[in-house]
This record gives sequence, structure tokens and C-alpha cells, in this order.
Amino acid sequence: MTNKEKYNKVFIETFSIDESALNDDLSYNTIPSWDSVGHMTLIAGFEDIFGINMETDDIIDFSSYNKGIELLTKYGIEL
Amino acid sequence: MDKQSIENISKIMRRRILDISYSCNISTHLGGGLSIVDILALLYGDVLKFDPENPFWDDRDRFILSKGHGVLGFYSALLSVGILSKEKFNTFQTNESDLIAHPVMNLSLGIESSNGSLGHGLSMGVGLAIAAKKKNRDNKVYVLLGDGECNEGSVWEAVMSASHFKLDNLIAIVDYNRFQSDGECRTILDTGAFDERWKSFGWDTYSVDGHNIEDLYNAFIAKNSDSRPKVIIANTVKGKGITFMENNNDWHHNRLTKSLYEKALQELT
Amino acid sequence: MIEITESDIKQWSRLGSRATFGQAILLLAKYRNDLMVLSADLGKSSGLDRFINSYPEKFLNIGIAEQNMIGVAAGLAKEGYVVFVSSFAPFISMRASEQIRMNMGYMSLNVKAVAIGSGVSMAFLGNSHFGLEDAAIMRSIPNMTVVTPADCAEIVKTVSAAAEYEGPMYIRLTGVMNNPIVYRSDYEFSIGKAIKLLTGTDITIFANGTMVYESLEAAKILESKGISASVVNMHTIKPIDNQAIDQAMTTSKIIVSVEEHSVVGGLGSAIAEYKTRFRNTPAHLIIGLPDEFLKTGEYKYLLEKYGLVAEKIAQKIIENYES
Repeated sequence: MTNKEKYNKVFIETFSIDESALNDDLSYNTIPSWDSVGHMTLIAGFEDIFGINMETDDIIDFSSYNKGIELLTKYGIEL
Repeated sequence: MDKQSIENISKIMRRRILDISYSCNISTHLGGGLSIVDILALLYGDVLKFDPENPFWDDRDRFILSKGHGVLGFYSALLSVGILSKEKFNTFQTNESDLIAHPVMNLSLGIESSNGSLGHGLSMGVGLAIAAKKKNRDNKVYVLLGDGECNEGSVWEAVMSASHFKLDNLIAIVDYNRFQSDGECRTILDTGAFDERWKSFGWDTYSVDGHNIEDLYNAFIAKNSDSRPKVIIANTVKGKGITFMENNNDWHHNRLTKSLYEKALQELT
Repeated sequence: MIEITESDIKQWSRLGSRATFGQAILLLAKYRNDLMVLSADLGKSSGLDRFINSYPEKFLNIGIAEQNMIGVAAGLAKEGYVVFVSSFAPFISMRASEQIRMNMGYMSLNVKAVAIGSGVSMAFLGNSHFGLEDAAIMRSIPNMTVVTPADCAEIVKTVSAAAEYEGPMYIRLTGVMNNPIVYRSDYEFSIGKAIKLLTGTDITIFANGTMVYESLEAAKILESKGISASVVNMHTIKPIDNQAIDQAMTTSKIIVSVEEHSVVGGLGSAIAEYKTRFRNTPAHLIIGLPDEFLKTGEYKYLLEKYGLVAEKIAQKIIENYES
């Protein structure tokens, strides 16, 4: 699985959404399942699948599908 | 009263609030700390009678932060008038510090009372005001409450008590920023015409812009009618001074990331 | 009854105690039409966000008014609802203490009071927000059942059992996010029935809440020092499982109790009150928070400072055992 596929998998599984929903508009609080609980579950998913430990600032700043891509480069994950 | 000087204090206080919130590296009550900055700048910059060299002075005015989570505004005011040293201020929310997320009584630091649990401060204020009268001291007692805090029944016990005991040396200030922890006050517990409620309990009631130094000042110095206690309902903005925090209840208790800290700092310059 | 899977447990542990409480309520709401949940303006802070959005008709925010909240809950319970009320530990147990006494104790109304952030998990928010004495106060009220779940799985078990249980309860939640796991998979849970997690031959450690995990870790250290310890999860301190204490008294050289609560009035006291009826029983070491208002700091810092971590618990036991 490529990094991008892993990235998408976490979103799809955490929020029970379709691949078609993975776009620019997907961000915190725009769908019911991406609330504070959903957010922590999402982050946990990325930490597990990429074997990383995210910093608190990054967890807070991870506000959208695109922002996440940007933030993960910090951990050496190129998407 | 030097309006410009008070406004300068407010500006410095807001800067210090951002600095300390960022450096302690955890969540702080930014929204409710920022909404009371101007009130506290005026109180500590002009209205309150105190001696920074002698925090134990018997004739000092007493100030109680009943909305205990407003510490960011409170500690930054104490810093700006030299009651708190910079070193002490910088220990905010570090292990075993005297300065935590709610005030811990410590007269040497200018903190009259321990708060944090809401609805306690006005009762103590009543006691302090009664004591002042019994001892023939002309010091005043100021108590700052939150609007959400006024959900607590104990607040109204104190409100009734104060007018019964004719405590014209007691001044309550309500930080009417229209939000509480879970959302807008109006949607959680609609208290209708808030100022009318205080009036009907026998208080001289002033409703002013909580960020207008002159309006606040005029309310503070207005003479009491008929030995009534006084309440100033300060219409404020939660998060005042930082546009992305204003009226945004996400900032009731939240963490400043590096990028948000920098963004906020830019707004202050 | 709510089903518990291993992956649920991992997720809940990461989310922590409050969010797990919220998840438990959400699961309960799916199959109980008679559920009502009340908060004193701490819905978001109690992990109830998702539940509030999904079942707004089952939730009431009473505002910052704990005494009123208990009274309102009592009225609802009287009319047949299964009612959960929540707030931070000192506010629910002490601000509304007398209301709990009258409505839940005296009238035995079916309300479950859930204390969020008990013990010292409130960290920098300080003593006004700590739950130091709450179990003691709730335990002293007749008709109350008092439970302190060991981990997030047990929080879900407790909430589920509470909904089935007819009677007033106080449920004390300790721990924060990344709450250590005691139960890795589903298990049998009954209110009032202690669970022996480890069988040893020298001593018995009774613990509840976060201290169950710490005690299990302490037992490993003790083992390496030649002391064989049983560890019992005494999640319910009222009614206390006397049989578990009987067993410990007959088999152990010393009994230890460990709690994230004052040494006054909590688990240790409950055990001591029972044990004192008998002669020639083993000595009892009570480990908990000191009878004082505490320093403030990070949660882990405070647990360490006040000796409520495995290494320090083991150390204290060794010193006591050897003297």
C-alpha cells in the first residue's frame, strides 16, 4: 500500500465515508463524525499506520484533509 | 483617571496573556481572561485603593475574582502594577507553582481568595463588606463574576443578602460576555433582562460597554442611592482583542499553537 | 448489554475516561428510550458532545447549577426515566451533596451521579477541581452505591450495569487520555463483586480506579523482590465485597489498599471498617492521597509526587512488609 493509500484508508475507516469525499472541503466539524472524538481517533489511526507520534501542536493544527498531508511531511511521510 | 494610560495597560496585559498562554504549553482559559482585561486594567490602574509595597494593608480595597478561571486577566493586571514580579508571573501553570488555572489565596501575591468553583466569591464579598462596616473602615469590596456563573443559586443568596445588609461598599461586576462553557448563555439558561433581575433584588444597576474605559469608570464612581450595593453589568466580548477568538467559544479553554500565537501577536501590534 | 471488543478497548483507552463515558452513554442511548442525561454546563467537558448531537431529546444542560440539576434529575427519575447526571467530582458530590442525600439517599431515586475527573486528573485546574474526598462523602449516605471503574473498558461496563441497576449510584471516573488498560477483552462485571486479577501468596492489594493498573505493575516489582502479591479490583466500595476481604484476611500477611483518593474515608476506610470487627487480622496499609490540599501540577507529576505510581507503591509495601 502506498502512503497515500494508507492516508486515505484511515480517513475512510475512521469516518465511514466514501473515497469520493476525500477532497479539499473535508475538514474538522464539516461532517458529523469529524468531531473531537473523531479527531482523536483519526490521529490515533495515523500514528498506528505510519508508526509515528504526533506533537500536540500538529494534532491541533490537523484541521483538514489537505492540511494533514502538509503536516505529515514533518514526520517524513511523503504523500 | 488617565484613559490613555489605562488603555496602555490593557494592551500590555493582552500581550502578556498571549505570552504566558503559549509558554506554559497547555490549554488556558483565553476567552474569559481576555474579556475582563479592560475592567481589570481600570480597577488596578486607577479605581482600586491598594499599596503594591504592602499587600496586607488593612485599609486596602478587596478584589475577589469569583469567576476564578479569569486568572489570565487577573495575573496580568497584578503584574502590570508590580504586585506580581515577572519571575513569579512566568511560573504560571508549571509544577507546584503558586499561580495555577484558578486563584489560590495568597495575600503576599495580592490574591485575596481561593476560587475556581463558581458562585462562591460574592458571599465572601458580603462578609468582607460587613466586616469593613463593623470596623468603620472605608475600604470597598469588588467582586468580579461571570454571567454563566450567575446560573448558580448561591450567587442569588449573596445578592439578596447584600441588599438586605445595605452594603453600599460592595460592588459586583459581571463579565457579561454572553458565553459559558457549553455555549451561549441565552440558549443554556435564558435569564431574560439580566439587569432588571439585579435591580429587582435591590441593587443599583449599571449596564455599560465593558471595553469602554470611560463608561466603566463613570459606573465605578457613581454615587450609591439609598445604601444599595452596586452592580456593573459589563457588556464584553469573550476573547476580546484577538479576532479569531472573539465570540468563538472554542477559546473558552484551549491551547495556543505556535502558528496561532504568532497570528495573535500580529493582531496586537 | 453493551458489547466490548479488543479494538474498542484500545480506542477508548486512547480517548481517555471522559470521552469513554461519552461513548458509553452514546451506546446506551441506542437501545434505551427511557434514558435522560443531565449536565451542569459541562457536556462538552464530559465527552458528551457526540451524544448531545445525536440524541438532543435525551439531554438537558441545566446550566452551572448542580443543586438544581440533582433535583431535576430526581423529578425525571420519579417519572420512570433512567437518569445519569454528570459534572466534575467536587461539584457533583459536594455542591449538590445535600440534594444527593435527600433525593438519591433518602428517597432512593434512580439517579446515577457520574463524577468526571476525580482524583487529581484535573492537574493545573487545582484543588477546587480535584476529587479528593468525594468517595468518602458519597459512601456515608445510606442507600448509595459507589463504584470507581479501573479502566475505560470498566467505565463502559459500569455505565451499562448502572442503567440496568435500580437505585442511586455514584460513579467516580479517574484517569485521563491514554488511560492504561487493565482489561484487554470483555469480562464478567457485577456491581458489588470484587475481581481478583492476580493471585499471590504473601499479601493482598485492594485497589480501584487508576490504581488497579498501578497495583498490577507494583505486584511485578514485588515479585522480583520475593513478595508474592494478590491484586483485587475493588471497583465497588459500597456495598463492599466482604468475602473478598475475608479471603485476604485468611491468606495474607498484610493487606494493602491503594486509591486515587484521600486516605480519609475512601476504599481504605471501607475495608478497615469491616476488618475491625475481627480479631487477629493482618495489618492494613492504606495508600492514598494525604489528608491535605495538594500542590498543583501535571497529572503524572502529581501521581508521582504523592506516591501513587507502581514504583512508589511497591517501595512503601516493601518498607511496611519488612518492619
